[in-house]
Amino acid sequence: MDCKRAASLLEAYLDNELDRADARELESHVDGCTECRAELTRLGELRAALRDRSLHYGAPSALRERIAATAAAAIDAPAGVAPARRPRPPASSWLRLAAACVLAFGAGGVSVYLWNRGTDDAAASRVASDLFAAHWRALAAASPVDVVSSDRHTVKPWFAGKVAQAPLVRDFAEQGFALVGGRIDYAGAQRVPVLVYRHGRHLIDVFVLPAPAAAALPASIDREGYAASTLRLGDQPAVIVSDMDAHESAAFAKLLTETP
Amino acid sequence: MSGVAAGAWVGELAQRHLDAAYNLGRWLLGNDQDAADAVHDAYVRAARAAHTYAGGNARAWWLAIVRNCCLTKLATRARDRPLDEAMAAMPRTADDDVEQDVDAAQSRARIASHLRALPPEFREALILREFEDLSYREIADVLGVPIGTVMSRLSRGRALLQRALLEPVQETPDGL
Repeated sequence: MDCKRAASLLEAYLDNELDRADARELESHVDGCTECRAELTRLGELRAALRDRSLHYGAPSALRERIAATAAAAIDAPAGVAPARRPRPPASSWLRLAAACVLAFGAGGVSVYLWNRGTDDAAASRVASDLFAAHWRALAAASPVDVVSSDRHTVKPWFAGKVAQAPLVRDFAEQGFALVGGRIDYAGAQRVPVLVYRHGRHLIDVFVLPAPAAAALPASIDREGYAASTLRLGDQPAVIVSDMDAHESAAFAKLLTETP
Repeated sequence: MSGVAAGAWVGELAQRHLDAAYNLGRWLLGNDQDAADAVHDAYVRAARAAHTYAGGNARAWWLAIVRNCCLTKLATRARDRPLDEAMAAMPRTADDDVEQDVDAAQSRARIASHLRALPPEFREALILREFEDLSYREIADVLGVPIGTVMSRLSRGRALLQRALLEPVQETPDGL
């Protein structure tokens, strides 16, 4: 893949709209291309800036109450006869209705599409695929970490400026699981902190996920000799991804979940 | 007219995604009162249209109605004053002023004002994508445009924002 094609795919990649094959191809290009990596970082930073909660307007409670009042009035004095079940007219009819006020001032025709039916399972499988892909990408990259440190007092503050909630960072070198550092990766469209540990020859990624992304993930997933298992790191959901065997993985999970 | 059951279902939907609806309305219309009115109109419209909902992503269905009510509102407002003027006349909130004190908050305020200054078609695509996390397909359905158009609007919007953010800090663009 050349830079021109990579540049045309970067946004779709960030928006989680590439199929896996294109995504993998783009990732291997980005791993080796400083310019495209910088552009991806810039886009990631713009996204982080846009997703800052301070830019979001929450609905005022007055509006909430006003709608509740309108709803209550409609139930008290229902007009017409209430159908026992919601009828199922053609799929496009509501869209035509929704479009009515646009048409009213002459915006022209509205295309009608079928809706995507996203399910929790599909979302979970997408998150899982992202985590494995991120792990493999890290293994293939020159360095699996953005901040190299075995000192949790360096890693935690590094995260603090980059993600909404810095994860709990601890080193388990004495128990055979040495903290290598941390990096930021993507799960779905979200930037997530990743803690990186080493156990013998195994590189271990611990993805700390926002609760919604982790919600539908199964307790463990195996893929191509790699395993992901979910656990809680402090008060946040997390997923360990590595090629450790089940025994080593369980030992590490136990260390992570133990209260310090 | 809607039945009781359908009305209750839409009420729950509207309440669950009220922040998303209000946020979209607020960014499209630029002030609290118009945003609240448009969302309320959207609720009434959605309750009446509840029996026409035929499955699929209910949040996107709801946001499509909200957006169309916002466009109606903009069109009504444009009768009183030109559209550009209406879009630009976005009052600063108390929050914006308090935030000016801190560096990080200042850069947030910059993003906000540049986002407000974006042409509406780029702004709404970015808001649905970045704030509401809708897929290209869902955004296409809410806006009633092809997916390719969604992609180019997102891309243009992002490029314009990035360029604007690279420019040296000027006097607040809120006062345009």
